[in-house]
Amino acid sequence: MSLDLTPSIPSFLLHSLSLLFISGAPGHSGSSGCPRGRPILAMLTLLVLTAALLLTAAPQSEAIVVYTGWERHALVGSDVRLSCSFFSWRWTSDDVTFSWNYRPDGAKDSISIFHYTGGAPYLDNKGPFRERLEFVGNPSRRDGSILIRNVDFNDNGTFTCDAKNPPDIVGRPSSVRLLVFEKVPIQAGVITGAIIGVVLGLLILVVAIYYLMRFLVARRVFTLSMSKHGKKGKGKEGSQPRQAGPSK
Amino acid sequence: MLVLLVGIFLLHITTVILLLAATIHNGWWVSSILSTDIWGRWSLIGSHWNYTDLPSSYPEGYLQAVQASSVLACVFSAIGLFVFVAQLFTLPKGKRFTFSGIFQLLACLCIMIAASIYTDIFHKDESNAEYGPSFILAWISFALTFISCVIYFVLRKKTT
Repeated sequence: MSLDLTPSIPSFLLHSLSLLFISGAPGHSGSSGCPRGRPILAMLTLLVLTAALLLTAAPQSEAIVVYTGWERHALVGSDVRLSCSFFSWRWTSDDVTFSWNYRPDGAKDSISIFHYTGGAPYLDNKGPFRERLEFVGNPSRRDGSILIRNVDFNDNGTFTCDAKNPPDIVGRPSSVRLLVFEKVPIQAGVITGAIIGVVLGLLILVVAIYYLMRFLVARRVFTLSMSKHGKKGKGKEGSQPRQAGPSK
Repeated sequence: MLVLLVGIFLLHITTVILLLAATIHNGWWVSSILSTDIWGRWSLIGSHWNYTDLPSSYPEGYLQAVQASSVLACVFSAIGLFVFVAQLFTLPKGKRFTFSGIFQLLACLCIMIAASIYTDIFHKDESNAEYGPSFILAWISFALTFISCVIYFVLRKKTT
């Protein structure tokens, strides 16, 4: 992963913090013309230099990271969009390439079905996806998604996306599984969880409202006894028995 | 009075246990090679019991409704137990255990909904197996929770 950079960031912060403390300590300003300006200036230049050094030194720890979904469910006959994007420390170069491979369920080999290079997409024109593929990605935005039309049960399998952003080419391709259904099944437990959640939520709501009413009515009783006129009509139904007093 | 309270407490605990057994054990529809519903299916293949998912021919909505309401019945009965113990110590003299009764009533309703839906929708025309222990326990706990809830609505606290 390209996050090998992170161990160096805390040490960089530590350095700058220590510099802050050292230069902020009294007695360092000396007798020069602007006592506060020089240490801060020195610190800023040091910060900028360190940042520049880190950015140029970063290439040693970077790798490209490709993201696709984990699984895609689709109905027979529908269109399914397989998304692929990548993360790279480098700017998106003009030679960015995307390639998609397909491995049917149970097969050992994969075939190549899509390749984007040199600014142009090349779609499958001989394999199982001829005339069904479409490139819907935006390479300058690091998006290499493809659209498969009219999926069938034979399209069940694993699709692998490999993206390269020269000179950042070291990385692992990422796979997404396509599952084609006749009718999209309700995931086990969605309705169960929804019913349980709603009923328990209603229960908590009712109990909360009950205690809130009791609390409010107790306060109203207090204000009722303070001003005898005019507030009688606002008493709630439950307040009468609670006025454990002469009104009973 | 103490004997009565202990009896009522034991009844409530029994209903909680029966509800849990009915919900958790996959034994609503049983034969010599099959033990199924409401969460999964145990089938005897060769001499080995295998656990598989329920067949997709089951109506999903009804199955999940049965699952949800049987779980809710367990939850309500369990909460009712704690509420009963709390009310035992905090209720003023002469008052009824309405709160605990309400929770037992909700549990009774939920398990009734679960068992009714199951009886009416699943395995209607099949005859190769029979209703199993979990199914019977579900209906028994319906009866017991009903009795328990009536007792709570009628019982009055004699001592503070």
